[in-house]
Amino acid sequence: MSVRQAAITGVTAGLCLPLALFAIILVPIPGLPAASGFWIPAGFYFAMTLWFGVWGALGGHIATVLAMGYFSGYTLQIWLDGGLGDLIAPLVAYAIFKAVGARPDLKRRRDWVTWLIAVPVASLVCGLWVHTVNLMFGVITWPFWWVGVVTYLVGDSLAIFTVGTPLLKALTDYVKQSPMYVWRE
Amino acid sequence: MERRYRTFFLYVEETPLLHLHPAVKLLALFTINLIAWLLEAPIPLLILLAALISSYVLLRVPLSRIRRFLLYALLVSQAVVVSYALGSRIPGRVVYAALPWGAYISDMTLLYMATMIMRFASMLVGSTLLLSAMRDVDVIYGLLSFKVPYTAAFAFNLAFRFSSLFLEDFKMIRDAMILRGAKLDEGGILQRARNYSRMGIPLTVIALRRMNELSYVLEIKGLGFKGRRTHLHEFEWSARDICAAILLLASLAVVALLRLTTSLLSFPGWPLA
Repeated sequence: MSVRQAAITGVTAGLCLPLALFAIILVPIPGLPAASGFWIPAGFYFAMTLWFGVWGALGGHIATVLAMGYFSGYTLQIWLDGGLGDLIAPLVAYAIFKAVGARPDLKRRRDWVTWLIAVPVASLVCGLWVHTVNLMFGVITWPFWWVGVVTYLVGDSLAIFTVGTPLLKALTDYVKQSPMYVWRE
Repeated sequence: MERRYRTFFLYVEETPLLHLHPAVKLLALFTINLIAWLLEAPIPLLILLAALISSYVLLRVPLSRIRRFLLYALLVSQAVVVSYALGSRIPGRVVYAALPWGAYISDMTLLYMATMIMRFASMLVGSTLLLSAMRDVDVIYGLLSFKVPYTAAFAFNLAFRFSSLFLEDFKMIRDAMILRGAKLDEGGILQRARNYSRMGIPLTVIALRRMNELSYVLEIKGLGFKGRRTHLHEFEWSARDICAAILLLASLAVVALLRLTTSLLSFPGWPLA
């Protein structure tokens, strides 16, 4: 890990941590106090991942683990569950952008279509991961698994579209000046 | 009286756990959680939970530490009860209720619910015990002891440092927006969340500037320099640390072996099977 990558990870985590705590307090999900119905930091670490690659996702992961653990205890379940899930989700979106040759500035039609597809796909993968972990830890049963996956897909996608889209639209050109930006022509 | 020091973690100074090597603290955190996960039998889980609660007294950690998570524990327990009551088919000697979609509640369903709640409680109680002796410096040096690259451990440390800075930025931007007429607290919960998310652009600009400046500062300070580093704190491995690490690893190995090769630790397990 280079110094620049450490800076991306550390600053992204530092930015997302208070936002995650804030999201949990502002939009709690009844029955799950360490979760939020509108996961504000997701929009931030999705944008950071699309700009800076895996190191942005790692920052989101650290922030999620610390914030969720603050309310629900630093257990293995929390780390495997939301923590790793929130590392996987932005990486899925990043991989889709890479695979189809889309860019995070959302200027072309292809970029928009990719963004509109990548976010729900990434949220779905994350939801599948999170609720399969819950199932493995015995907290839920199969009939409740898909309910969790669907609510996760809707809630997470909504937050990422609302928060992440203006960030990508407004700031990608600014970020392009940074030597850490990963999309070089 | 519990003395508290505000880092990201609040630790108890009186506990002997505090003087353990950071690597042992992290190892204990993972081991206790893994053991609780491997156990599926109610009686062994009950013994583990009782042992962990007793450790609070022995290690001079106030039991009030767990109080903060009681509501969460209650809600997870409720989730377990609802999920198993409405969606499981665990055969038992007595069936108390059969549901139209094929699920039913037997005596074993109730026992399994209790087991899952005890598994979750063991993880929570064990993790909270260890977190009572964890400083952020322990996390960083613990990661280094597990051969995590220094820059990666350092990035973790940056998260603690920057979170308080961003919290200040967040307040400053919020106040500035309110002064300009923004009504952030109007509307329902989702509308309020959307209002607050508009602070994202100025916050991200600050983050991006900070990221650039930080990377230059770290380069100048020689963080990326290859070669052996010296550290501010030196944590020596004592005989007690080595014994604790061996004990933890041996316990994990025994539990894993018993779980894989016998039915003692599988539901319903010893002595109920």
